[in-house]
Amino acid sequence: MIVRRSPRRPHLLWLLVPFVLYLGVLPLVNRVRPVVFGVPFLFFWLLVATLLTPLCVWLAHRGDRRIEGGRPGSRS
Amino acid sequence: MSDGAVATTIFAVFMAGAVALGLAAVRGRGKQGGLAEWSVGGRSLGAVFIWVLMAGEGYTSFSYLGAAGWGYNYGAPVLYVVAYMSCGYAVGYVVGPMLWAYARRHGLVSISDMVAHRYGRPWLGAGVALLVTVFLLPYIQLQITGMGVVVSTISYGAISLNWAYFIGFAVTTGFVVVSGLRGSAWVSVLKDVLVIGTLAFLVVYVPLHYFDGYGDFLDRVVREKSDWLTLPGSGGSRYGEAWFATTSLLNALTVVIFPTTVAGYLGARSADGLRRNAIWLPAYNVLLFVPMLLGMAALFVVPGLVGAESNLALFKLVVDSLPAWGVGVIGVAAALSSIVPMAVFMLVIGTMWGSSVLSLLPRWRGPRRQKLASQAVVVVAGALALVLTYAAPNTLVRLSLISYEGMAQLVPMLLIGLVWRKLTLAGAVSGLVVGVGIVCALVFSDHDPVFGVNAGIVALAVNLAVALGVSYAGPAGRRDERPDAEVLARDPLGAEGEDGADGADGEGERGVRAAAGP
Repeated sequence: MIVRRSPRRPHLLWLLVPFVLYLGVLPLVNRVRPVVFGVPFLFFWLLVATLLTPLCVWLAHRGDRRIEGGRPGSRS
Repeated sequence: MSDGAVATTIFAVFMAGAVALGLAAVRGRGKQGGLAEWSVGGRSLGAVFIWVLMAGEGYTSFSYLGAAGWGYNYGAPVLYVVAYMSCGYAVGYVVGPMLWAYARRHGLVSISDMVAHRYGRPWLGAGVALLVTVFLLPYIQLQITGMGVVVSTISYGAISLNWAYFIGFAVTTGFVVVSGLRGSAWVSVLKDVLVIGTLAFLVVYVPLHYFDGYGDFLDRVVREKSDWLTLPGSGGSRYGEAWFATTSLLNALTVVIFPTTVAGYLGARSADGLRRNAIWLPAYNVLLFVPMLLGMAALFVVPGLVGAESNLALFKLVVDSLPAWGVGVIGVAAALSSIVPMAVFMLVIGTMWGSSVLSLLPRWRGPRRQKLASQAVVVVAGALALVLTYAAPNTLVRLSLISYEGMAQLVPMLLIGLVWRKLTLAGAVSGLVVGVGIVCALVFSDHDPVFGVNAGIVALAVNLAVALGVSYAGPAGRRDERPDAEVLARDPLGAEGEDGADGADGEGERGVRAAAGP
């Protein structure tokens, strides 16, 4: 049996970014001020994190698509 | 017509519609397929259905009741729901396709099945199925009671609590027994349209109706309720930063193996569909901000709600400010938010019993009988939760406290087990037993959070240490002769086309796809 190593996927590190945004920086963002567009800061930050999460997962997926695209005959 | 009659009529029409829609989902698929068709939609659901289904499971009656209630009582801590769901979807990007491929390759339909296959012990699958059932029953009850409260409120009392409980059970059982995961996905579509529509409306309407728009509302919150706006929140809450971070982390790891999430994964047509799904699911979380915001708006409009009443913070606003038909529509959205998750909870319990428990008995092993047994278990599980809701409501409420943290203890056995061959049966089982023991001990002695940290994560750490320790030092047990490729899971992206055996597998997959049509 030929065992080839799985492709390297360093782009999966993007998936850790939501953890940093929501949990890692919590001590820094747990505050009411500055108020952004009337929204207290913690809420504003978590809203930004919620909007950035799809972007992070998309970046991970973009890397995977390149791997998939590099293999002949695999479009799914 | 009186307000109660209008709202009740709207509610009744939509409930009948939901059952009809759920049943229509399997029209023409009637008898074919067996357990996999019913449990995981024949592994053929497209990206859109998987998205609505998984979003539907995440957005339960808690989102309307509990989230608003927490927002009302404490404020910011409730945002852990948003945090863990987003992080969980990121983890699911990797775990989802892995579990999907494993289940597809070996013809598995539930996590108890997977565990039985991984460790080569059918009894272990049965044990996990029993444990998970104990953890899931409280969730069914939570949905039943949640729906009951909503229905009796929006019908202006025309439907009593006890009847409302029964309606929740009857509507859910009405379609899920016949149409399984596919039916749940179809009802989810109706639910999502209503949930998104009504929340989008409320988030604009409430600040305009009760305040001078957003500026004024937010201004007043910042000025008068600033306690609510940071962790640990208002009223001497125990939910500080450490609790927020550890709970979100634990739940993000748990949500990817939560049996209902896994049912969604397994229902998908392709691994890449799941990855795309993981991109778009976090966007749904924006909606979770709404009930919390409305809960805080209720602080000004209906001050002084205490205890369980605070869960109705959102509905007090709705009933107070909208005409009866509007109340009815929002009630339907909330009711469907109970029904869809409840359907999948019941489905999962039925599936696990059919595939892992009753299959231990030779006479229940045939595919037709397995499905029939699973359907029977669905009705029994739902009925049991309903009866307990009437007879001993507090039993399940107490159990629900350990549900999520208890489920988390399955993470090493399942996820680590699937990627690491050296984790032994003895290691995985002792870790699980110790972990669940610690969760029970801490939660029931009222030590959650413990030292400001989520009790489940403490238990998980010990669980992991025991599992590793016993795997290295403990008994090796019976030697498992199967090759790694048979026992372990791999990400389909890395695994496809690696060697001859996989090539054959790819053929099989294409064959299935061709048979299922374009």
